[in-house]
Parts: sequence; structure tokens; C-alpha cells
Amino acid sequence: MTQDRILEIRDLQVDFDTEDGQVHAVSGITCHIDAGECLGIVGESGSGKSQTFLAAMGLLSRNGTVSGAIEFRGQNLIGLGIPALNKIRGDKISMIFQDPLTSLTPHMRIGHQMREVLGAHRGMGDRQADQVCLDWLERVRIPEAARRLRQYPHELSGGMRQRVMIAMAMLCDPDLLIADEPTTALDVTIQAEILDIMDELRRERGTAIALITHDMGVVARMCDRVQVMRYGAYVEAGLTDDIFYNPQHDYTKKLLNAVPRIDPEASIERPIPKPLAAGSKGNFLKVDNVEVQFKIRKGFFARPDILRAVDQVSFDVNPGETLGIVGESGSGKSTLARAVLQLIPPTAGNVSWLGTSLNDLDQEEMKAKRSDLQIVFQDPLASLDPSMTVGASIMEPLKVFEKHLSKDQMRAKVQDMMERVGLDHTMINRYPHELSGGQNQRVGIARATIARPSLVICDEAVSALDVSIRAQILELLMGLQKEFDLSFIFISHDLSVVWEISHRILVLYLGTVVELTDSDSLFRNPQHPYTKQLISAVPLPDPRLERGRARIKLKGELSSPIDPRARMRFLPSKLHLASQGYVPKLEERMPGHFVAEHDPIEELLV
Amino acid sequence: MLNYAFKRLITTIPVVWIAITVCFFILRLAPGGPFDGERPLPEAVKRNLAAFYNLDKPLVEQYLIYVGNVLRGDLGPSFVTQDFTVAEQIAIGLPYTIIVGGLAFALAIIAGVLCGIFGALKRNQLPDFVLGGIILSGLVLPNFLLAPVFQLIFGLELNWLPVGGWGDGSIRYLILPVCVLALPHIARISRLMRGSMIEVLGTNFIRTARSKGLNDTPVVWRHALKPALTPVVSYLGPAAGYLLTGSLVVETIFGIPGIGRYFINAALNRDYGMVLGTVIFYMVLIIVLNLIVDVIYAWLDPRVRSQ
Repeated sequence: MTQDRILEIRDLQVDFDTEDGQVHAVSGITCHIDAGECLGIVGESGSGKSQTFLAAMGLLSRNGTVSGAIEFRGQNLIGLGIPALNKIRGDKISMIFQDPLTSLTPHMRIGHQMREVLGAHRGMGDRQADQVCLDWLERVRIPEAARRLRQYPHELSGGMRQRVMIAMAMLCDPDLLIADEPTTALDVTIQAEILDIMDELRRERGTAIALITHDMGVVARMCDRVQVMRYGAYVEAGLTDDIFYNPQHDYTKKLLNAVPRIDPEASIERPIPKPLAAGSKGNFLKVDNVEVQFKIRKGFFARPDILRAVDQVSFDVNPGETLGIVGESGSGKSTLARAVLQLIPPTAGNVSWLGTSLNDLDQEEMKAKRSDLQIVFQDPLASLDPSMTVGASIMEPLKVFEKHLSKDQMRAKVQDMMERVGLDHTMINRYPHELSGGQNQRVGIARATIARPSLVICDEAVSALDVSIRAQILELLMGLQKEFDLSFIFISHDLSVVWEISHRILVLYLGTVVELTDSDSLFRNPQHPYTKQLISAVPLPDPRLERGRARIKLKGELSSPIDPRARMRFLPSKLHLASQGYVPKLEERMPGHFVAEHDPIEELLV
Repeated sequence: MLNYAFKRLITTIPVVWIAITVCFFILRLAPGGPFDGERPLPEAVKRNLAAFYNLDKPLVEQYLIYVGNVLRGDLGPSFVTQDFTVAEQIAIGLPYTIIVGGLAFALAIIAGVLCGIFGALKRNQLPDFVLGGIILSGLVLPNFLLAPVFQLIFGLELNWLPVGGWGDGSIRYLILPVCVLALPHIARISRLMRGSMIEVLGTNFIRTARSKGLNDTPVVWRHALKPALTPVVSYLGPAAGYLLTGSLVVETIFGIPGIGRYFINAALNRDYGMVLGTVIFYMVLIIVLNLIVDVIYAWLDPRVRSQ
């Protein structure tokens, strides 16, 4: 069926000239994509999976050189001049990228950016082009499409922007759509919708898709064939089912094992968090009706809008326990973490630690408490001081909280801690930029735990890491917990990660608690429609299961926390109370299983 | 948008006040006064003059009187050129200064932006290096050196252009002063533009634009130009200030009868009223220009508008 062959890559090599010499990003890749098929290219960061296809599009950075062959319908794209290439890209082959905000030109209206594609390839006038754009925006299910054409990218939500990108890529009905981590920056529910749209396009229009991703779940859901990539070369290729159920290469196996799965039926081994000591309840950390509000000024004279980032949130954490907090972007999870640590003063409510209210402490007293309460941030590189060695960063808490130690004692402690978190102690004089992301996060964890705190808040602490590194860090955290009897508040947008590490899980929606229970019941027996939707949206790394799975779709979409009506999305029958700041009340359905009141799910489904 | 401009305008009030205050007292600290000539005036005349200009009152009172007058829009009399008030003198010089300064400003922006884009597109190739070298010389040579050199070459040696004066106001008399005034700003703007253009060309949305199959022309002019202009625009406010102060020197060298020449004479003669008046005028001008820059900013980036 050679007439159906869209793209054929043979022995592709991509090298970059850098100051440190030549870097081989891609070394000898061979693959092909046929019409209407979805090929998954899986690998961790730096595996060269994106560079392969950027090379095909002629989009490599200036220091890159390519050799080998990339044939599109028999025409070699390598060495093609820019004018000839411009006839193909955007028309026959188009591409969508990971970050839809930075991938759209900020100062141009959506309509303008879309029209110019049709202008360049079809010579279409504005009015005619507008009609085609409108058609496509509606096809990717953008509400109020006509209005969107006149809007700027920053006025749209993340999911909407990615839909615009897809519509824009599809304008000329391309033979091949290259999707480079198209859903990585999006929330799970939005991801599910975007994947649905892409799948539909493939079936309806026969567009072949090259899906570049690190997410095995996404692969299982979307792809016919998979190529697993590492260090610029393929380690394994084959049909999706074969790769998932009969992986041959060790790396593929490792990759599959590193993915946490949220289906409790799964037979894979799950590191079970240590059961809690009975009767350890009490006043360890108690968060009581905490609220954080921000004023959004719209103009000099206008009355500020109130953004209720966190609204009447209560929970407690027990010694040695991990409480997971999940929520999509805008759910207030990071704000909540900062409010607990008093990094942002709560507008109302109370946080008490070992029976003392943290709200009333002055700065000095709070500083003393901080040795007990630590935090690990998401971006490990950005949250370490670039001008300090990692040793100095780790040592800082000791200088504040254990001043009595001598310099040598501190140094010994730092080296100890570094070994404990899996860093070689000889790295003590290295700088953060010399370390990898995973190593930097180990530094962050060492810094947070060296003063032996009782509670560590991990704010998206593993979200920026590759799956295999992520698995190691999670293991490390659980090890530290066992050893030092630590408590964690583990915040993430990623349900599967939270499920893996937490004893109990709290689901946040627009600053309010939607469901709170132990992690097994949450996944076995979710009660709230929003929780059900979230769980059903997470793609499982299991193709057969994934294909047969029904997705729960609810009306409306995640909207602005400024709108008081938004939080009544699951309780439309009480919408009239929204303007009074009503928050759906938590009820204890089963012992220890709290669910926010909601209307019957049948009435909320799309 | 209007809100924003209004807020910016209000915050400039204390700035203006502080500047007037500082200028007022610094001038008085400088030795000498407007009536200290080579031949001392008779005591009685001096006393009369001092009384007329309020110089016999305590300094603080003089200051309050002056600020009061300024608030009423009266920049007061010149201490030296008795026939004209400060406002009248500024009005006489202003058209010349505006023409020279405005042309230099326009030239600096257009030439600077074009050179910058050219440098970015040809980056690290021969044309970029050559242009970079020429531009650097514009940056390091001060205008009081550049002006006579230009006069010497184009005026005296080649005899292409008049050496100075306003003449009939035709373009021939303007070329040299405008170029001298604009050159350092062409240099700065083109450096800024080159850097920001290179940065913008490496962004994700330019990658998207290229992936759409657009040619260089729309990619550069439609997608990259506006965001790349941002640092240039933020430089335009200070640039306007430099241009105005630069014009003081350039006007004097080329014998152009603008405000600059009056200002320098006034400063040498301790013409308190004239110096302060010119300072206030320039200050307001610079503030207004900066305000315009902020408005352009909002036009360039829709995100600023909605903040």
C-alpha cells in the first residue's frame, strides 16, 4: 500500500553545534506513517522525539544540521528550499505544539492568524477565509466561534487556545498533523476533549497523526502504532497492543512500570503508604474554614472584583500521613498551600499547628515554627538560588534553625542528607544549573527535610519531571516519610501521582472542597460528579481497557473563580443562592468520606 | 486605557514639583547672580532690581512666589533679556527646536529599527558585523565632536552642505544637525532592535508562524515586529529626553536659534527665570512624551490593555 504512505523517514540524523561540541539529538531514525493512522512517538525529555519532526518541518534551530531522508509522498524534505517547503508546511503537513499560549502570536487576533494560512496557501480573500475559519472553529467545538475570531489569544482559556491551534492546523485539510505534546500543558478534562477532537478528525477526514508524547496513557488511548525513543534512537517499535502487553526492551518495560495507574483493579504493584498509627488523630495540623480572597482591580474607579481563591476549606493532617490535594488549574491548590504556611495570610479561618493558631503569631514566632513546616516547589531549578552551591542551599535551614552547630557539623549533616536523598556528596559544591531536573528536585527535598520538619508541603513537586525520575522521587519521599515519620501535603494536578502516594485525598474545585476521603475509596467509589469526571478523564496506560472506557462529560467548563455562579456548577438547583456567596456544603456520606452537596449526576451530564 | 493615562498623569505631579524645587535651590547655590557684571552696578540700582525681581525677600518666600506663579501658568520674566518674558522666549525658539528634534527623532526610530531588523536577519554574518561597527562609532563619539567633524567634511571639504545657521529653513540646513542629533540614537535603537528581534524570532509563536508556511516577510513584519518593538518603545521616552538635552549643544554648535541656545546663555548668565522656565518646559515635554510611549506600549501588546 505504498500509495497510502504519507511520510517516510530513513536514517535521520540531527546534530546541534553547541559551545560544548556537537550534540547528536537524533541518530539514525527510520519510521513511516500511512494515511489515516496515528503513530505515537514516546520518550522522555531529551530523547529527540520532537527534533525528529521539527526537522521534517524545517523548524530546527539555526545550529542544527540534518542528514538522511524525510520523504513526504516521495518528495525529500531535507535540503528543500524555504519557498518549496512553505508550499508543503501549513498545507499538506501542519503542526501543533505543547504550549498553546506562547505558540500563538500575542498581538494578533485569532481570526487574523487563521486567515493568513488560507491566504498563503489558497490565495483566499478575507471574507471567504473567515467563513472557513468559522467552520473549523465550530468543528473543534469552540463556543461562540464568531466572537473568538475577533479575540486575542490571552482572552481564551488554555483548552480553547489548543482548539484554535488544531483548527488552524486543519484549515487546509492536511495529510499529516504533527502534534508535539499537545495536551501536556492542559488539565485532564481538557486533555480528554482535545484528544477526542483529534481522534474524530482522524476518523472523519483521514488525517494521519504523529503524536509526540511522554504520556503512556495518551498513547494507549490514541495510537495504532508506537515507537519508543531514547537518546535519539528507537529502542522498540510496534503495534500499540504489542508494546503495552508484550514489551521486549527493558526501557519500554521500565517506562510502563513507572507510570502510576489509577485503576484499583490493576495488578501492578503499588507502593502502599504506611498505615497510620491508631489514635494518632488530634491537633497536629488543623485547617479550619480557611479563606483566601484577592481583589482584582479593573480600573481606577471601578469597584474591585473579589477572587475567592480558597473558600471555606477545612481539613486536618495526622502525624505520618500524606494528604493529597488534587485540582485543575485555578482550583486554588497552591494558594491553599501557601495559606497553610502563612506565606499568604488567610483572609478568614484558622490554621493551627499542634494546638497553636498560626494566624496570631508574629513574624519571629512564625519563623520558629517554620523549622517544622517546610515546602518543596514545582520548578526545581527556578526555586533554588542560582548563585549558591547546592550544598549552601541545603545548609541554609541549619543556619537558621540550628545555629549551635559548628560549620563542620553542618557540612557533615548536609553530606549525610545528600546521600540520603540519592545525591553524591561530592556534588556539594556544584551549582543548580549543572544538575539535572531530578537532581535539583532532590536538592529541594534535602533542603526541606534537613531541619527535620514534621510536615512538608510538596507543591507539584514532581510535575516537571520525566516519568522514570518521577517514580524515583515519589519513592524517595515515601522512604523519608517512613524514616522520619513525616507528614506530607502532596499537591498535584495529576490524579495518578496523588493516588500513588496519598493516604487521603482532597479534591478541590474553584477553591472549594468537593470530596475528601481515603485514596482507595476515592477511586473505587467516587461520589461527586466532578471527581467521577476527573477520574474518567485520565487516560489509562492500557489500550484495551482504554478503548472500552466511557468518559463522563459534564455540562459547562471550568470557569473563572471570580464568577460566584461557577462554583454552583454541580448544584444548579441552588444557583439562586450563588450571589450570596453560597458554598456547597460538605456531608459525610460514609464514615470519613466527605462529599459536597450536588444535584443527581444524571442532570449534570452533557 | 484612559484610566491608565490619567493615573500616570497624576503620579507625575510630585515629580514635577520635586524637579522645580531642586532646580530652584541649586541655581541659587551657584555663585554669582544675574546682575553681577564685570562692572559692578551702583548699590541703589542693584537694590531696585532686587526688589523688582523679589530677590531681596527670603529665599523660601521667593520660592513660594515662584511656585505660585508657575501654578498660574506664569513662568515669569527673564532676568537678562528684559524685553521678553520667559514664555515668549520659549515660544520664539520652540519651532526651531521642534523641527530639528522631531526630524532627528523620526530619523532615529526609522533608521534604528530598520538597521536592527537587518542585523537580526543577517546575524553573525559579514553585513551584520559591518553595520555593527558603523553603529558603534555613532555610539562612542559625543555630539560636540561629531558636529564639527561633520561640518568639516560635508561643509568645508566637500562643500555639499552649509556649515550652520538656519538660512531659509530649507532641508539643506537641517541635514547635518539632524544627523548629528540622531546618530547616537540610531545606534542605540538598532542595538536594542537587533537583540529583541533575535529573541522574538526564537519564540514559539514564530515557530508556529513558520510552521504555517508563511514567508519571511509576513513572519517578520506581521508577527515579529510588534513584540520586538517593545524594548525600543520603552527606550523612546528617555531617548526623547536625551534628544532634547542633546539639542542644547547641537543647536549652539550649528547656530540654530532654538530654545537650546537661549538655555545655555541663560545658564551662563544666571538668568534664574529663563533657566527654570526652560527646565519646567522640557520636563513637561518629556513627561508627555513618556505618556505617549506608554500608550503605544498598550497598542503593541493587547495584554497591557486588559491589565
